[in-house]
Amino acid sequence: MPSNNATSRSRAAKGSNKPEALLALYRQMLLIRRTEERLSQLFADGEVPGFIHLSIGQEAIATGLGAVLERRDTIASTHRGHGHALAKGVELNSFFQEVMGRETGVCKGRGGSMHVADMSAGMLGANGIVGAGMPIAVGSALAHQVRKTGGVAVVFFGDGALAEGVLHESLNLSALWELPALFVCENNGWSEFSPTSKQFVAPLAKLADAFGIPAETIDGNDVEIIADTAGRLISEIRKGGGPRVLECITQRVRGHYEGDAQKYRDPAELKDRDKIDPLPRAASRLSVLGVSDALLAALETEVMAEIDAATEAARAAPLPGFAAAQADVYTPAGA
Amino acid sequence: MAELRYVRALNQALSDAMAADPSVVVFGEDIAAAGGPFGVTRGLLEAYGADRVRDTPISEATIVGAAVGAAMTGLKPVVEIMFMDFVAIAMDAIVNQAAKARFMFGGQGSVPMVVRLPHGGGVSAGPQHSQCLEAWFAHIPGLKVVCPASVADAYGLMRAAIDDPDPVILVENKALYARKEDVPDDLPAVEIGKARIARPGRDATIVTYGAALYTALEAADTLAGEGVEVEVIDLRSLQPWDEAAVLESLSRTHRLVVAHEAVEAFGVGAEIAARMADIGFDELDGPIVRVGAPFMPVPFAKTLEQGYLPDAGRIADAVRKTLA
Amino acid sequence: MPSSPANNAPALTDLVMPKLGLTMTEGVLAEWKAKPGDSVSAGTVIFVVETDKIANEVEAPSAGTIAEILVQTGETVPVGTPVARWTGKGFIADEADAPRPAVEAPKPAPLPASTGDRVRATPLARRIAKAQGVDLHAVAGSGPDGRIKAADVEAAAKTAPAASPTEGERIALSAKYLAMVRRVVAAKRDIPDFQVVRTADVGALLELRRQLNAVGGPKVSVNDMVLKAVGRALLSLPRANRIWAEDAHIAFAATDVGMVVNSEDGLFIPILRDVGRLPLDRLAVDSAAAAAKAREGRLAAGDITGGAISVSNLGMFGAKALTPIISPPQSAILGIGAVERLFRPDAEGKPALRQEMTLTLSCDHRVYDGVLAARLLQAVAEALEAPHSLLLTEG
Ligand SMILES: Cc1ncc(C[n+]2csc(CCOP(=O)(O)OP(=O)(O)O)c2C)c(N)n1
Ligand SMILES: [Mg+2]
Repeated sequence: MPSNNATSRSRAAKGSNKPEALLALYRQMLLIRRTEERLSQLFADGEVPGFIHLSIGQEAIATGLGAVLERRDTIASTHRGHGHALAKGVELNSFFQEVMGRETGVCKGRGGSMHVADMSAGMLGANGIVGAGMPIAVGSALAHQVRKTGGVAVVFFGDGALAEGVLHESLNLSALWELPALFVCENNGWSEFSPTSKQFVAPLAKLADAFGIPAETIDGNDVEIIADTAGRLISEIRKGGGPRVLECITQRVRGHYEGDAQKYRDPAELKDRDKIDPLPRAASRLSVLGVSDALLAALETEVMAEIDAATEAARAAPLPGFAAAQADVYTPAGA
Repeated sequence: MAELRYVRALNQALSDAMAADPSVVVFGEDIAAAGGPFGVTRGLLEAYGADRVRDTPISEATIVGAAVGAAMTGLKPVVEIMFMDFVAIAMDAIVNQAAKARFMFGGQGSVPMVVRLPHGGGVSAGPQHSQCLEAWFAHIPGLKVVCPASVADAYGLMRAAIDDPDPVILVENKALYARKEDVPDDLPAVEIGKARIARPGRDATIVTYGAALYTALEAADTLAGEGVEVEVIDLRSLQPWDEAAVLESLSRTHRLVVAHEAVEAFGVGAEIAARMADIGFDELDGPIVRVGAPFMPVPFAKTLEQGYLPDAGRIADAVRKTLA
Repeated sequence: MPSSPANNAPALTDLVMPKLGLTMTEGVLAEWKAKPGDSVSAGTVIFVVETDKIANEVEAPSAGTIAEILVQTGETVPVGTPVARWTGKGFIADEADAPRPAVEAPKPAPLPASTGDRVRATPLARRIAKAQGVDLHAVAGSGPDGRIKAADVEAAAKTAPAASPTEGERIALSAKYLAMVRRVVAAKRDIPDFQVVRTADVGALLELRRQLNAVGGPKVSVNDMVLKAVGRALLSLPRANRIWAEDAHIAFAATDVGMVVNSEDGLFIPILRDVGRLPLDRLAVDSAAAAAKAREGRLAAGDITGGAISVSNLGMFGAKALTPIISPPQSAILGIGAVERLFRPDAEGKPALRQEMTLTLSCDHRVYDGVLAARLLQAVAEALEAPHSLLLTEG
């Protein structure tokens, strides 16, 4: 298993001539990418129930953040949260088992793709409700502050969530209370079937400025920039600097959900995809740094083996039993 | 006669209402250019223009709140909340504003608006995309709540809801959108508050609504094989609901089952059972039995959701219990 | 410190249907003498309860204000059921209890009556039974746990000819009458009874009565003499002076005997106290007073409780014999027929004119066996045939 901690202490500084850090980031992105490609296939085959939202093309953001976060830090995620979960350290097998609806899944098969959560990893949950993660992160930041954990709460949200009232309430409260919170907007240009331009008029950085929150807008497809910036912001926050906003400009490669034919979208929009896709970009940086193609191919093999094993393990895992689930709505007495 | 889908019937009703009355406007998330996540509003933008058919940002509190203000000011908004679950964000606008404005302001005016809420599970959509929350609204004085099960009613209740001077919650069932039925070309509006006998019978009455109607009819088929003739009543409106029709049926069959997909505890069925235990007491020849979802969130995994959703077997068992 | 919200409204308590006698399980709320808002002082009559035999005025146990009436006039409710909410204190006194000390520690509220003999029937079955005059106690239920359903009642109505005529005037009955009906129905259903019959030669008894009444003083009836004979029989056979109580016998020391009195409101059974030890002339006075009270509807709870046996006499109407229904919780009842003049063989086998009366003892097999029944009947007959024994006050 890839360890987030391996990269969390080394800063992946752009321009560094040491390839190890970038290699770890690359491997994490690759794992997310291949995992979601596998899920896409399993979904089409009917092995993943419900509906799933893939973050293909956006892996750099989850990865960059995951690299600088510690276990004690907490994150709140979205409907498009597979990458966030894996980058924060949710174990691959129990992740697959959850998304495939197994008893051994990280949420015992009760939540599925849109609700992957792992409290032990500080992953407070993907979320089916747009915007719902923001106040949850605010509350988690409050807990870090009150309990003096030294931790930081991070919320990931899409550009579509900018229009929800809770964003404004959450920015205000976190600024008012100087909470250790980082708001990470993954601006992928789309909110379901509508472009961001038709959804929201205030640039996020300006909005943050109005609340007195320092904000940065960066290239969301460059994992090194992301890890770098996030590392800096997190350490400012951890030092008691109050909340920060980080907007990452990226692209949604797939449809809103798997099965979305994207008839509303001009295919030309994605024609330069290869140039901006975070994986090839990182790969070419790695070869500049002297990492061989053979090494990347070996990484690929390694990651695929993990995913294959996780898929098979999930297939073999037991389906959840109804009675046990029904008996688990409330905390058992004495627990 | 023509074959029509439930989703098309809703669409036709919206279109006919917009054609008939220029004050009808439609807005919601991805309902205009994309035609709605389930296609209910398809073609309306092209037919009635961007003034009256609008995409909104993801702002449920404001979508419904704005509908209240628009309705107070001469429009008849029909707004969509993509999944009924998300309406939680808009509850203030519905409960404290729309429902109370007429009463609280001394009857100065009404709030003619429709909030469309697709409910229901069965597709592993998980705990936040599957709920049936209609009882919340039926509990609020000032709101009307309708829930069409048939294609004809999808049309008729949508028209009636739009024509109604008060706020109406129109509950659609996601599993029914694809349903096809032969319907007359000229569909009428359906009076709010009137139930329909979906299947006549003499031995027991099942009162139901929404997609559970078809589960109840399946149960009735099973029971017919055992020589038990069940009457199935499609409630169609939950608030107001057709007390007289249910009492009338109960007075003939003397046995009552109330079935719905929503959680059984504190649900619509509880109200119906309680009323019939009161005004229908002397008609009862067995206990009133409710069938609804268990008291737990809608689970994701298929095995769990199968156990969760009330099926025909459970409804048939409930009928047998009333006959025991 | 958070303070608990002040509660100025006086706390309301329940006023319950009192238990007016050992065996009372339910009562008819015959009349309300107070209405919501009325303040009453201790001892004021608040409502009237009819049990199977009597109307009782129920007095307020303390001062208080009636807040809400829960049981309306005409409703029958089990003992212990709250009939009203009020601000007063204390519970309705149980009048059947032995005299109590003047100051009494508060007692817990009476428990609701056992629902042991409650009929399980659906509301529709009850409605149909009422309309068709079917007694649900007599219907076997086919539902879960013997629940009676409409179909069960309809089947019962078909097999049994309708108890109420379909045509003719419908006569509403008093609550007292209906209470009596319930009581006899329950008795017939619940008591495993059997009968023993014999005759008694009452020539000497009639002659003694004539002589006694010629002396003056209270008028002694044949019935008084039968009552006295029963009292004396109990003195000699205390084993018969028992009643059935769930799974035990209760044995009485006093030889109380009930006397069936007919009235427009149905039958009443005032109890005459320790008849075996009571002088016949006193008995004659007491029985006349009790009969008058019964006919005027003035019997109190204390007048109708006690005793293991009663006497029912139809002799004055010429009936040869009657097989009476035991009045629970008593264990026996003696039916008296008319005096007949008959030729009977005397010691030599020659016809001799006799005056005879037929005695029928209905008894509860849970208390009696055949021998005990025959012996009691024998003791009664012997007392009647040697009537001077009736003038004695001890066994
Ligand atoms: C409160 C709420 N409203 C609407 C939705 C339906 N919905 C799910 S995702 C989505 C678009 C979200 O867009 P964005 O925040 O940009 O995230 P992206 O899908 O682009 O990752 C919408 C409208 C929802 N899940 N919750
Ligand atoms: Mg987006």
